[in-house]
Amino acid sequence: MITGLSDEAVEFGQVARAALEAAGGDRLVEDAEDDPRERGRVADVLAELGAWDLDVRESADELEAAAALCRAAGWWGAPHPVAERLARPADADGLVVVDPVAPAARLDGLAGLTWAAVTLDGTLHRATLLPAAQAPRKSAFVTSLALRNFDPGGRLATSADNVSGVGVGLGLTLPCWTLLGMLDRAIDVTCRYVGEREQFGVAIGTFQGVQFQLTEAEVERSGVEELAKYALWSLATRPDDAVADALALRLAAIEAAEVVFRVTHQLHGAIGFCDETTLSWLSRHSQPLRRLPLGPSATRAALARHIGRRGLSGLFDEAAVP
Amino acid sequence: MDFDMGADVAALRRRLRGLVHDHVPPGYLGAFTDDPADLEVAQKFCRVLADQGLLCAAWPEEFGGAGASAWEQTAVREEMWAHHEPRGAQYMGVNWVGPAIMRHGTPEQQAKHLPAIARGEVIWCQGFSEPNAGSDLASLRTAARRDGDGWHVTGQKIWTSYATMAQWCFLLARTSRGEKKQQGITAFLVPMDDPAIEVRPITNMMGPHHLNEVFLDELWVTDADVIGQVDQGWSVVQEILAFERVGIARYARCERLLRLAPAALGAAWDDLPAELLGRWARMLVHCRRARLLAYRVIGLQSTGQVRPADSAGYRIAVTRLDQDSAEVLMEIVAGLPLDADAGTGFRRAVEGHHRYSVSATVASGSIEMQRILLARSLLAARS
Repeated sequence: MITGLSDEAVEFGQVARAALEAAGGDRLVEDAEDDPRERGRVADVLAELGAWDLDVRESADELEAAAALCRAAGWWGAPHPVAERLARPADADGLVVVDPVAPAARLDGLAGLTWAAVTLDGTLHRATLLPAAQAPRKSAFVTSLALRNFDPGGRLATSADNVSGVGVGLGLTLPCWTLLGMLDRAIDVTCRYVGEREQFGVAIGTFQGVQFQLTEAEVERSGVEELAKYALWSLATRPDDAVADALALRLAAIEAAEVVFRVTHQLHGAIGFCDETTLSWLSRHSQPLRRLPLGPSATRAALARHIGRRGLSGLFDEAAVP
Repeated sequence: MDFDMGADVAALRRRLRGLVHDHVPPGYLGAFTDDPADLEVAQKFCRVLADQGLLCAAWPEEFGGAGASAWEQTAVREEMWAHHEPRGAQYMGVNWVGPAIMRHGTPEQQAKHLPAIARGEVIWCQGFSEPNAGSDLASLRTAARRDGDGWHVTGQKIWTSYATMAQWCFLLARTSRGEKKQQGITAFLVPMDDPAIEVRPITNMMGPHHLNEVFLDELWVTDADVIGQVDQGWSVVQEILAFERVGIARYARCERLLRLAPAALGAAWDDLPAELLGRWARMLVHCRRARLLAYRVIGLQSTGQVRPADSAGYRIAVTRLDQDSAEVLMEIVAGLPLDADAGTGFRRAVEGHHRYSVSATVASGSIEMQRILLARSLLAARS
């Protein structure tokens, strides 16, 4: 039993976080809102680290490194679909999981890349970006997609993605690592804030009412961290369970995000709504990750349908322990 | 990463399930029911485990254990709790009384107590909480008054599980007053059949034996009954709590009941509201989440690291899971006929789980204390 990422992956994530900080850190998303073409700056920084050479489908080690990279990108709210690009199938620059009823993704300004889209049933499409309906400040770079068959059959018959669900699993799991990085940061900045902000002559972090809310958020965040690692391991070792485990992670991650952002906003008070705080930017740009392809209720329903009567694998999986 | 516990642990799990199948009757819901036969089942099962070297498998070999790995110990905890703890009250002696005696007991105390615990022949209770010393345990008032070469102990303990059946008590009493309330506390090992001890059961929703009051009236104890150093009992307690950082594997029973639910309901499962099925699926996710949080703590412990904040976070998650899963399961079984054969056992198991879950956020340290510990750690790391 090894419950942590490899040392190499952790170090890669630390290097990526430092590189993104050197490239602008929190300014990256602010600049990209002004000019979506700035989204490419993140890609350039990560290219220098060899990020786009990672083969997450063939190497469990590289999958772990990719996850650490996504988490680092989330820490800064980096305005680039890092996870989606790392999950790319053959013949595309990136992969997004979509709801076929209203396909959309946070790809505004990235029409120069070729995009694949996959639905939860494993059907793979080519995706074309439609013009964004709103400016990035409101859209958080979300734009609608037009889908067409990836190949004449609508499925890549020879692709392992469709055989095993690895494509859907990857497309769900890696963005959760990005969201995890956002949750890490939201709690970090909030802990610092309540340690400094004084009311009634003392730091508000000394109030038990504040402390207890923080712990509610932290328990949610730490749970996502463990489920995210488990989903990676599942992708690499148990492809039959990859979609179920990814849906389980996604449900926990977006429910956790609801708690974390509710708590961290509340503890910041009014300043948390303002552009001068990191939380405000993280909160707005977490929205696409939380709503697409499915929000909490639809994800819960999708998970229930997917696992049926069998349930999630675990201690009482008769196949595992007869 | 590797979340597979390995072939040895899987084999141990199979062996434990086989023993439960062979020695624990179907429908067993724990030792502490209105049926005295259930208590006898637990006593016999402990002897079966002891005979096979599984009761104290986690103990070092020098004390009669098998030196089981952290993950084998985890499997034992999970399997026992999932199957309604057929060890009964023995887990207390095995999990922390025995280890505390190994660490702090005299050779005489070790020779007297450890073999009996290892054979599954003795039940212990924990004389900690008092009417005015719950979460603030160090405020305890039970007093040990020096008299010659011993003490007279007088006071009251409360919420003392298994006190009606226990042969021994791990008792905390105040032997002096220091600058801090944590100073001056001494731990004693005392026999429960002493006439100076009176036990009064407290009727409660979990069933018999769980909660009792213990009154101590001039109980005579000597230096030979002290474990650790006089006035240094608090450090012994802190170490005891460290043995129990992961505590009960509550997630295991939650997961087992949730996984059994579709089969228990049969065709009726398909008629459940989609919203309830979604909540059921969500609880399975939360079971996995709590289990993985436990594994993080255990993984660190197995390499000699202890991060109390991780333990606190896990305990918050798992106790909330206990209660949340109980609510979902109660709604799932609500449609089962009360008098039908099929599903009746499952319904009773769920109802028992629900009754017990109510105490989850209070027992063995309230969830508020865990929140305080976790918050302090979060804030200190960034100050």
